[in-house]
Order: sequence, then C-alpha cells, then structure tokens
Amino acid sequence: MSSSIPTASTTNDEPGLTLDRLHFAYKKNPILKDLSWELPAGRSALVTGSTGSGKSSLLYLAAGLILPAQGTVLQRGYPLKQLLPSQRVQKGLRVGFVFQEGGLLANHTVYSNVTLPLHYHADVLKLSAVALAERAEQALDAMQITRRHWQELPAHLSYGNRKRLLTARALAFRPNFFFYDDPDAGTDPRTTQLTQQVLWKMRDDPEVTLVVATNRPHLIESLTIPAYRIERGRLTQNFARDSFIPQQ
Amino acid sequence: MQSQNSEGNLLERLGGRAVGAVKGLLQLITTLMAALTAARASGAGARAVVGKMVVRQIFYTSFQAVGMTSLMALLVGATLVAQTELLGGALHRETAGRIMIAVILREVAPLVTAFIVIGRSGTAIATELGIMRVNHEVLALASLGIDPPRVLVWPRLVACTVSVPLLSIFFSAAAVLGGLLVAFFMDSHGIADWRHGVSMGLTAWDLPLLAVKSAGLGALIGWLCCHYGLSVGMSPTEVPQKASTAVVRTLLACISYNAIATVVFYWLVGAKLT
Repeated sequence: MSSSIPTASTTNDEPGLTLDRLHFAYKKNPILKDLSWELPAGRSALVTGSTGSGKSSLLYLAAGLILPAQGTVLQRGYPLKQLLPSQRVQKGLRVGFVFQEGGLLANHTVYSNVTLPLHYHADVLKLSAVALAERAEQALDAMQITRRHWQELPAHLSYGNRKRLLTARALAFRPNFFFYDDPDAGTDPRTTQLTQQVLWKMRDDPEVTLVVATNRPHLIESLTIPAYRIERGRLTQNFARDSFIPQQ
Repeated sequence: MQSQNSEGNLLERLGGRAVGAVKGLLQLITTLMAALTAARASGAGARAVVGKMVVRQIFYTSFQAVGMTSLMALLVGATLVAQTELLGGALHRETAGRIMIAVILREVAPLVTAFIVIGRSGTAIATELGIMRVNHEVLALASLGIDPPRVLVWPRLVACTVSVPLLSIFFSAAAVLGGLLVAFFMDSHGIADWRHGVSMGLTAWDLPLLAVKSAGLGALIGWLCCHYGLSVGMSPTEVPQKASTAVVRTLLACISYNAIATVVFYWLVGAKLT
C-alpha cells in the first residue's frame, strides 16, 4: 500500500475500512485514480468534493456495492470482492447505506422495506419473529414514520418520509458500517434535524464506522469529523474547509 | 489504397462484432452462474424468504396465465381440426387425430406457451428489473446483505422453468378439447375415428419430450429476460430498449432451441414416435 495514504486516525489499531489503490471509471471516464484510504473501525469521516467528483462512487465502492476496475476494498480486513453480500453479513459486516436518490424497494410496503433484510438474515442475526418486529417498529418510530404509512408503498410517501424510511431501514439493520450519501439534500427541516441526530449518534458510536458524503457547509462544520476532499480522482485531507463553498 | 482501407474497416467491424458477441455470451453465462451460486448459499432465513418469492413468481407466471392459455389453446386446437377436416374429410379422421398430437403436443404447445410467457412475464421481468436498476434497488439489496441474483434472478428462473411445462400440459389438454369440440360439431359420427387417431398418436415419449422442451424454453425465458433487465444502466430510457431486446432475443432463442430439441429428440427416439 502506498505510503501517502490519508488516515483518519492512528490511535485505533482495529482495521475498519481500507481502500487500496482503487481505480474506477464510468463509461471510460476515470473517476477515481489510484485512491488509497484507511479509516479505522469506529471512526468517522466526511467526504466532500465538487459535483461529479466521485463522492457517491467512492461510497458505493467502500460499501462494496460496486467493484473497482482495479484495487481492493476491505472491511474489517475482509476483501469484499471475494464475498457475496450475504456472506459479508455472516462475517459480521453489516452495512447501512442511505442513498441520495432511490434505493427503496418499490414493490414492498414501508414495513416490508425494513423487515425484508431482517427476515433474510434472521438466523444470522438470531432474531425471533417478535424481536424482528420490535426492531423494525423501533427504527420506524425513531425516524417518525407514522404507523398509518407502514402498509403503504414507498411511492405514496413524501420525499422527506422516503429519506427517513431509508435511514430507518439502515438503522434497523444495526450497522457497523454506515454510509450516508448527501444526507440533507432537499429535505424538510424535520427530516434534516432527525438525520443530523442519527449522524451524531453514529459518529459517537464506537461500534460504527461512518462515512458521509456531502457538500453542505453547515453539515461539514457541525459534524466535526475529519473531512476529505476528492480532487482529480484522489483524496486529500489538507484543504481549506470553506473551499467547497462556490465562489461568486 | 482506398479498397485496402475499406477491407481493413470491414475486418475491424467484423472483429469488433465477434468480440462483442463473445463478451455478451460471457455476461449471459455470468448472470446464470451468479444465480446458481447464490441459490446454493447458506442461510435458513434467506431460504425462507427466497422460497416465498419463488412461490409468488410461479403464481404470477403460471396461474395468472391460465385464462389466456386456455383461450388460445382452444382456438388453436379448433382451427387445426377444422383445417385437417377440410383437407381430408371423413376418410382421414384418424390421421387428423395423429396430426393433432404430433403438431400440438410436440411442437405448438411448448412454443405457443413460451410465446405467452414471454409476452406476459418476460416483458414484465425485463422491465421490472430494469426499473429496479435505475432506482438503485439492486444496489440497495446488496447493501442490506441480500444477494441480488438470489432474490431477483433465481425465483424468476425457477418460476419460468416450472410454469412453461405446466402451462404446456394445460395448453395441450385444452387444444385437444377444442379440436374434439370442432370435430364433434362438424361430424359427430366420425368422432370415434378422430379419438382413435389421437390415442394412436400418443406415445410414452411424448410427455418427456414435452417436459424437456418446455422446461428448457422456460429456463431460457427466465434467464435471458433477467439478464437483459439487469443490464440496464442508470438511465430510464434504457428500460424499454432492453425490454425490447430481451423479448426479441428470447423469441429467437426459444425458436432455435425448439428446433434443436426437435431434431435431437427425433434423432434419438424418432422411430418410437411413429
């Protein structure tokens, strides 16, 4: 691994998220070039960068949702490329991913969106039917999704409710890796507030490795976690925190 | 010089097409292998969830298609008998019954049933999976530790493989009934000859032939339509394009498979079918 790898902290020895010499291109357009990064377990980081710089791609790669053209992604030392998504859960890797757009299962009700992964991994997570229902209800209540919406399809929800449902589904999974893509883009004040509470909780949880992609100055300031910027396909840490604000 | 250039371009194009075809075939095989590998993955919870999905897909693919299949089978059986009656009349009723079995059970039933399933379910599969790709639903499943091939491809593959044989048997029975009705209305006295021809035409090999043919056709439908649905990129405009590609290529694949299966089967057991 290259010697100039940006590292969020050097105090925690437990491996968390490791990206090693990643290359990623979209339709022959290079997005990430020889990108290496280490984030120890239980630490948080924020990724910023201009539109189209590759923030979402970086999150998808780090979560193991897409594979890089070259390079390796490790979570807690496990190479994601060699594991099916279900095998990752069996290894104790639980990912919560909140998409910027979409990501809800359109043919499943609000309740089923939250319970499907729990049913799928009920044996691995050792969840009884009662515990599973409790966990789903807790997550939905925590994100203030009213019970009258629980049997509706996501298409019938407002944008704010859909965003909160995405967060509730991720929370119900009790993730140890939490990826949040553009948390408060276009959301109403209540959703923004709830989202920030979730982010602070995840940031303070020593079990959770948190990565947030955003361009919002207030979020970058309020989260008070190490911030990185994607520039020309690479991550840099030493940048002026207000440099992402568009200049007039 | 110019002709050399054009020859070079032609070779380049042909080479590019050949490479594209091989890549496409490899991707198709990858889709199938991913579904088969994921289906064998461990997890009691996953097995229960996927089992329910398989049952639901079989319901959508077979039971919901029974009405349309019945109507088409009755009409096909009826027209076939009407045509043979016009050609041979009372002298060839026994032959007409045998033709009924050879044409309907061995060729028309699996193929027309496959066409019905492509039209009803194949388009739905390709479109639904394409929309799921665009809406990041496939990525969302992976993020939740759910293997997309196991919950998206496997249930549809199994459902099509099971449903086409079931519907083909149903189609054959309904077509024979349609033929019987027309034969009865055209000449009720000659019905015994026609029935004798049907029973003479039926051999012990017909059911295995129907099962192998229609299961293969079903597997092709599930496999190709899932593959083209999942090959949609990020743009919604790709969804109808890929759905159209899925239908056209699946039709072509089914007709080719049917022809090959017929040739192979008649070569292996042809003498026993006469």
